[in-house]
Amino acid sequence: MSKPSTRRRLNDQTRAGWLLAGPAMLGLGLFILLPFLAALGMAFTNLRLGSPLPLEFVGLKQFQRIFADPEFLRALLNNLLFAGMIVPLQTALALGLALLLNQGLRGTVVFRTLFFMPVVFPMSLVAVVWVLIYAPGPNGMMNGFLELITLGVWEPRDFLRDPLLAMPALVLLSVWQGAGFQMVILLAGLQQIPRELYEAATLDGAKGWNRFRYVTLPQLRNALIFVVMITTILAFRLFDQVQIMTRGGPNGVTTTVMYEAVQAVFTRQQVARASAMTVVFFLMVLAVTWVQRRLARQEREVA
Amino acid sequence: MTRYAHRRMTFRRFLLFVALPLVLAACNGERSGAAGDIVEVWAHAGQDSERRVLRDQVARFNARQSGIQVRLTLIPEGSYNAQVQAAAVAGDLPDLLEFDGPFLYSYVWQGRLQPLDALLPASVQADLLPSIIEQGTYQDRLWSVGTFDSGLGLYADRVQLKRAGIRIPSLEAPWDAAEFDDILERLAGLDADGRVLDLKLNYAGEWITYGLSPLIQSAGGDLIDRTDDARAEGVLDGPSAVGAMRRIQSWIIGGRVDPNIDDAAFATRRVALALGGHWNYPRYSERLGDDLLLLTLPDLGQGPKTGQGSWCWAVTADSRYPEAAAGFLAFLLEPEQVLAMTAANGAVPATRAAIARSPLYRPGGPLDLFVTQLEGGYSVLRPATPAYPVITAEFQKAFDRIRSGADVHAALHRAASVIDTEIADNRGYPLVGRARVEALR
Repeated sequence: MSKPSTRRRLNDQTRAGWLLAGPAMLGLGLFILLPFLAALGMAFTNLRLGSPLPLEFVGLKQFQRIFADPEFLRALLNNLLFAGMIVPLQTALALGLALLLNQGLRGTVVFRTLFFMPVVFPMSLVAVVWVLIYAPGPNGMMNGFLELITLGVWEPRDFLRDPLLAMPALVLLSVWQGAGFQMVILLAGLQQIPRELYEAATLDGAKGWNRFRYVTLPQLRNALIFVVMITTILAFRLFDQVQIMTRGGPNGVTTTVMYEAVQAVFTRQQVARASAMTVVFFLMVLAVTWVQRRLARQEREVA
Repeated sequence: MTRYAHRRMTFRRFLLFVALPLVLAACNGERSGAAGDIVEVWAHAGQDSERRVLRDQVARFNARQSGIQVRLTLIPEGSYNAQVQAAAVAGDLPDLLEFDGPFLYSYVWQGRLQPLDALLPASVQADLLPSIIEQGTYQDRLWSVGTFDSGLGLYADRVQLKRAGIRIPSLEAPWDAAEFDDILERLAGLDADGRVLDLKLNYAGEWITYGLSPLIQSAGGDLIDRTDDARAEGVLDGPSAVGAMRRIQSWIIGGRVDPNIDDAAFATRRVALALGGHWNYPRYSERLGDDLLLLTLPDLGQGPKTGQGSWCWAVTADSRYPEAAAGFLAFLLEPEQVLAMTAANGAVPATRAAIARSPLYRPGGPLDLFVTQLEGGYSVLRPATPAYPVITAEFQKAFDRIRSGADVHAALHRAASVIDTEIADNRGYPLVGRARVEALR
């Protein structure tokens, strides 16, 4: 660093780098950084949408309040629960689909398109369709299906109003909607694994499971890390399904931080409170992502 | 999980955190020039039939005169209030604005509206139902009027009541609390699943407050203290309110209430009694015919009470054509127009002239009870305070807990303390700034 020549070269590259990164950085700054700083600022005030009262600095009051609010704590817990269920499920399903499609059977393109299709649908549309699928009573599609496969043992349930079933119902539809995206990434990863590795493993006498365990999985590591991370981040954003299908109920079992924040600002005009929630939320997602990256990196060093 | 959600949230955040401050800064300047002589009108896109009538009315009004023309914008009902609030912050409200009655007080407090009492002809005001005037009045001025009101009652199946030997009540001799509990048990004894009452538990949102708070008020409680020093603690979690909600909880937990998941509990005669509004009448009367009875709610101690209030109209504070906007509103209140709208949505006509000509609501008509309740002081206005959005949201949450078996006092106490915090945060909603100016206009 102390050598002038090195510095000049670095500077030259830096300028070009900034130029190229500029548009993206501008977008990030304008739409991510600036709103975050604004939220951070607002979280320390009493700002309300449309209030004629003067704006005041209230210190940490909004944060104290949301952490004393059982609904917000419940929302945090639900976010963790949802992520905890959906990340393994969706990753496993996506991996399974990708492995199937990678067999090189006939019609792969058709199935790949079919599996990917839900990803293209807007979540609001998917949610409305699944409200119909989860329709209560024996005429509901899901109830009918469960009754059929259990040979009539299944009693019709109201999935979205059932305290035990509401969250799993959201998980199921979210997995269905999102798995195609992860599948495509894993499929690309699978197709990059050199054939020679499998041939070598076969020569060493490795059969199905061992080939998967000792060749496929290690080779897919980077793709899997990426998939897990992106699924986690997307899982924390759970909102559309809740807004359209359950409105946080029954009795708060499906409420999420995002839903609570939107409720605070759009039904109660509490901009400051919602800002405090989004700040906490941002820090939480940041922490989870950071921990995941740490763990993944350490593994790499060991390997 | 969804990429779409991400995009939408980012956009919302952008709106809130970037556009909002910019707009706040900009709205101090002049309003950008709207087109010449156009009165902007915003309304909620209700049922298909309502939309058609309103579009028709606008066309008829515009054809009637050559000067100022009305331009109608329909906004989806689901997020109506959120959208109007955002437009209000942006200084972008129309001349004439429709909104659901209980939101009036918060619009007035924010200084968005101007009083209507000087704009609307006195003869038009004099013909309105008292409940319409009551809903539209805040800080001693009239700010909004509706062209229709709502009716809440207990629908009953005459055949099932007769079979159980139950007397038919009236406003003068309603069922009392113990009698009603007994009626539920007697009906349950003759019923296949014992679920004999429909409280419309399948409805979400405002229904809970609208439909159930009259039972609290009948027991002598309320959602909030109605004096200037409004507080919920000691009222919403007071003994009367807790008692009423315990009673309702006992009906639900005791298996007397049909969950009504298919929204057909009463129409298919699965239950004998159904709490419901004027909007249920067409379907019920079609299914039950002469067996349909419309009754008053039970008297839980302080006389039978019922709900009131519906969508209403107000002229905005910044309107450039307040007289023309009020002129269109006066047109909507002409008997023919009120009858056209109420024929489309089944609601109670807001003017006595229209009621007299309404086949359903005229004296002796099948829904006459709704008018009697509104005129006779049986209906209770939902709290006239800018805190109403929070009051109703918290009450709904509390009810959600109560129906699944939670401790009634604890649930109501939690709601009351959130409501009181909200009121304290807003310093009891003092009339300041623009609202003060408007109230003295």
